[in-house]
Amino acid sequence: MNIKLKDLLQMKAKELSLTPITKPVTLNNEISSKYISRPGLALAGFFERFAYKRVQILGETEISYMQSMKDEDLYDRLKEVLIYDIPCFIVTKGLSVPKQMVFLAEEMKIAILKSALTTDKFFHLLRNYLEDHFAPTRTVHGTMIDVYGVGLLLTGKSGIGKSECALDLVERGHRIITDDAVKIKLAGENLIALPTNDFGHFMEIRGVGLIDVEKMFGIQAVGLEKQIDVQLELMPWQDNMDYERIGLSDNYVDILGVKKPIIYLPISPGKNVSVIIEVVAMNYILKTFGYDAAKVYTDKLQSELLKKTALRKKQISKN
Amino acid sequence: MIQNKLGLHARPATVLVKTAIKYRSDFRIKKDDMEINGKSIMGVMMLAAEFGSEIELITDGIDEEFLMRELIEHFENKFDEE
Repeated sequence: MNIKLKDLLQMKAKELSLTPITKPVTLNNEISSKYISRPGLALAGFFERFAYKRVQILGETEISYMQSMKDEDLYDRLKEVLIYDIPCFIVTKGLSVPKQMVFLAEEMKIAILKSALTTDKFFHLLRNYLEDHFAPTRTVHGTMIDVYGVGLLLTGKSGIGKSECALDLVERGHRIITDDAVKIKLAGENLIALPTNDFGHFMEIRGVGLIDVEKMFGIQAVGLEKQIDVQLELMPWQDNMDYERIGLSDNYVDILGVKKPIIYLPISPGKNVSVIIEVVAMNYILKTFGYDAAKVYTDKLQSELLKKTALRKKQISKN
Repeated sequence: MIQNKLGLHARPATVLVKTAIKYRSDFRIKKDDMEINGKSIMGVMMLAAEFGSEIELITDGIDEEFLMRELIEHFENKFDEE
């Protein structure tokens, strides 16, 4: 999970406009935290709560503070700072680092890199990248589809027909994100579903074998990632199972600590599951727009019952 | 006669339907000139049977007595609402 600085450079050198200052050997250091530190106080000699394991960013403030120090004082202070097991320093705005610092850092096998971006911009980009990289993930067996913009995670036992169902939905103009294995990533309060590899949108149809959905149905049939809105568990019809009848109470499932609605969908031969799935998606959209059919209907029933009860009372008191 | 103050609203209707589908017997409810299938939620709610109104329960099949007994229990308990 840790990121080697070498790999960071390989992937992000351009975007973050990063160049190494210290020797290549220091680039074997690894980033192990998604957090970023500004080591101003450590440079000023305050080491309590120094978050040395994090990436240290040196902006204009830190650099000009170092420049304001006498050479000997700076050297002594740097010796104190660099004794910590710091993965790397990154200097922003293309500023230059005091020569002693590069020398000492190399001695202590601490990397120093330089970015041409402003501190603010760099901080933001790096933070986003680290947040994404260190985000908790989980892989589940299922199929992820985008139906009318609603992210549906289809789950259920092997052979229940998730792939066939997804195929039917693709034919109706919806998008498939991934089939069989879904990687779920926590992004803030959202769950993002992605494929587990970048081979493309292949899927297995029993009796046929592998097919390439993108080749077959075109680019509009596929998507790269999608937020999970609802989980749909397909299950064989059972006579005594307690299925939802009205839809007033929602069932929830916990995925990576986030609560998402789950719908248990009984399927039986001859049932058109794709239409039901489209209905689930549209009902979800209606609910987010504030219209809950189950609630509207039962409210109407409730007021009808009250009206009739009042009428009955009136009649009784008349007699 | 419907004993619970709120009448056969969504929750009791669900209780009736969920009870009925456990049994193999048919279940119908009559109210005024309406007769509906007691295993259908929309049917039961459509009756809009209010507090004090009278309905007739009809069970028909091999386990009709057991179904009837459980249904009556729900009505007598006022669907655990009061």
